Amino acid sequence: MSNKGKAPAANAAGGNKRPLLVSLYYYRGFYIMFIPVLIFAIVFHYLPMVGIRYAFCSYKGIKDPVFIGLQNFQKMFSMPGFWSAFSNTIVISVVKLLLNTFMAVALSLMLNELRYLKFKKVAQTIVYLPHFMSWVVTASVFTLILSPTNEGLVNAILMKLGIIDEGIYFLGSQDWWRPMYYVINVWKDTGWGTIIFMATLSGINPELYEAASMDGAGRWNRMRYITLPALSNTIMTVLILNLAKIMNLFESVFVLQNDAVIKQSDVLQTYIYTQTFNSGALPDYGYTTAVGLASSIVGCILVLVCNRASYKIRGRGIV
Amino acid sequence: MRVKKMLAAGLAVTMTASVALSGCSSSSDSADTTTAAGGTTTDSGDAAASEDGIEKPEKITIMVDGTVTTKANDRDAFEARWEELTGIDLEIIQPDHDAYMDVVGQTFASGPENWPDAMILSSSYYTGYAEEGALWDMTDAWENSELKASGRVTGEDVIENMKIDGRLYGFPVTRGNGCITYVKKAWLDNVGMEAPTNYEEYIAMLDAFTNGDPDGNGVNGDTYGVSAAGIIGTEAPYVNYLPEFYQDAYPSFVQGEDGVWYDGFTQDNFKDALTRLRDAYAAGYIDKETLTNGTNDCRNKFYEDKYGVFTYWAGTWNTNLKTNLEANGRDGELIPLEPIAEVGTYIERTPPVWAITAACENPEGVFKYLIESMLDGGDMQTLWSYGVEDVHWSTKAETVLDQSYDEGVFHFEESLEKPGTAYTKQHIDPMLAIASWDGDPGKDAIAEEAANSQQIFNDNCRQAQIVPSTEVMATYNGDLTTLKNSIIADVVVQGVSIDEAFARFESEGGAEWSQMIVDSLNESAN
Repeated sequence: MSNKGKAPAANAAGGNKRPLLVSLYYYRGFYIMFIPVLIFAIVFHYLPMVGIRYAFCSYKGIKDPVFIGLQNFQKMFSMPGFWSAFSNTIVISVVKLLLNTFMAVALSLMLNELRYLKFKKVAQTIVYLPHFMSWVVTASVFTLILSPTNEGLVNAILMKLGIIDEGIYFLGSQDWWRPMYYVINVWKDTGWGTIIFMATLSGINPELYEAASMDGAGRWNRMRYITLPALSNTIMTVLILNLAKIMNLFESVFVLQNDAVIKQSDVLQTYIYTQTFNSGALPDYGYTTAVGLASSIVGCILVLVCNRASYKIRGRGIV
Repeated sequence: MRVKKMLAAGLAVTMTASVALSGCSSSSDSADTTTAAGGTTTDSGDAAASEDGIEKPEKITIMVDGTVTTKANDRDAFEARWEELTGIDLEIIQPDHDAYMDVVGQTFASGPENWPDAMILSSSYYTGYAEEGALWDMTDAWENSELKASGRVTGEDVIENMKIDGRLYGFPVTRGNGCITYVKKAWLDNVGMEAPTNYEEYIAMLDAFTNGDPDGNGVNGDTYGVSAAGIIGTEAPYVNYLPEFYQDAYPSFVQGEDGVWYDGFTQDNFKDALTRLRDAYAAGYIDKETLTNGTNDCRNKFYEDKYGVFTYWAGTWNTNLKTNLEANGRDGELIPLEPIAEVGTYIERTPPVWAITAACENPEGVFKYLIESMLDGGDMQTLWSYGVEDVHWSTKAETVLDQSYDEGVFHFEESLEKPGTAYTKQHIDPMLAIASWDGDPGKDAIAEEAANSQQIFNDNCRQAQIVPSTEVMATYNGDLTTLKNSIIADVVVQGVSIDEAFARFESEGGAEWSQMIVDSLNESAN
């Protein structure tokens, strides 16, 4: 910028003692550039929060909202469906997060060990591809693969191998639904998750490996003492950032769930959907907003807890 | 730091002001306010009044789903023809079909000044919007209409069924139609059986289709009897894909002949239905993937000869199923079954309705010139049923999709949106119209099998009841429906005992919610 190298004397002398207007003027270029972002954030992120007020109202979208205090929250806490959805959201999200992160790290380490560059690129591209499939298509493909009939690939193989006599209805079974859900998620998102780890790996100084080799370290020890420690900060950041999103689970569950596994699969977002569209009456947006608000608060608490954990572990936070 | 504080303070002030300015008690967009509605103009000096004193609107704004001629199918031509016939300016708002009800909800929420004059509403939302006061009461308009006086209306029962507390807020121009059970004739012949007339024969047929060789490929047991998209439907009448198993049982709220509401799920006949379903599923008569099937999956499996009995829409779908079976190299002849003795009658879906919003300035005019005219037995009914001449249909001598037609023979044109296929109808299915139409130009174009299955259905159906919306229902029915569907799946697919399943219904609050809803319905009925 034009002001480069002309920091006000006050700044050099005492940091925060510079008057606000002087500071604003001095960094005017940055503030002008920031204005569109600020406007965007206010219009699309902050103003919609006005809708939070419906959580304290009864509102069906026609007549004016009627203020009912905390009644929506009282109802929410008294409904077993909410608690079931709440615990499912936490369990499914956390397991999914840990599994996906673990698999992404493992895959990154394996890809990093590949020496033939072209093959490495092709392998990377192939593992990224599932991420770009929509969840609807993914669900259709896995419904076919996991079909309980002879045409289901998995059941056909298991039957051929003599492991089972009759096809398992993986997506209709209360015992199998969650494991299958995790597998499908790993298949879809592991490749994409490797991008950030591969970027970190490519930044590790090769001299460290050379030095380790000269000291007699094999592949395993190089990975253990150089690669993994270098990745640890990234792993922690990815985990923490993703924790903030765990309450937003919807599409992947919605397209794979069915009536038989509703107790195992219903999460807060699908619960809100059901409350809105399956009530057989005009939905009460007040109640669904209350559930959404509760979900957001939990998400917010999780982020703050993780930030605190990050301070403890790494000495610095992420937000 | 001070800059940060100022920004934070600014944001806080902005948000607080927004909340305060648009708080819960705001009344600026009240539904009770009858401000000018989406463009209807009636008070112009140019507006003509007909003999019955109803003013002709200058403009009508409608919101419609994809059942009305779409943009891709030359909606402009449709609109131009409609305006030519009426002399009224027509504005069509047509959101994406799949998102239609979302857009309707948003439109209602945005305030009466944005409401169209008329719109299509599904039965699921019709009662709710009517009870919220968003719809105009068209009872008197209907009672005094020329259409009613004409004596051509054949579906007065359909109209009666749409009344809420004796008042009509939406007009069904067609019947709701419903599902009829189709059986592959070639399969029946192969197993040497006749079309079933009772449950015992029906199960025997399914057994033969499951364990025999109905497709004649020399392999026993590589087919099954029946498939469906879910064990229970997602919207009323819920049981229409597997009627032979549900028979007289119904999983939701029903008003008895004595006027008292009850929950069909809690009745003994529903437990019997669950037992029949569980036994048939365990025996392999019902597709093992029923829970995860979509209707498209079912159709494809039917075309691939994986199963032989399919309960699906009556009428045009008979022709579609036949055509697709033949395209797959299978025998396309289907037998549409009359309901087996235990079923008695098929259930006809509650039809979508044309409703006039409470914000419409000249509702009588909109009823007369828009809704009533759709069934005029003339040019307007032709337009809504078949579309625009020489765009969607024609009587010219020409060849369409390798089929040659002589001059004067009614035929459909090739679809603009889906080249390679011909149109079959526009908004009104002529076989479902609730008024007789002697001058129907396309009656000879209806395929024989479609007309036959529709006739069997129409002769053997009863109307699904519309259930009023209550506060208690809005509060608990979402959870209740989820619990009921889960219990049904538990029994049928997981093999859980009936006693265990209903113990769960009690313990998880289902029985209590059900009773509360029943009480609220009975209270509002009284």
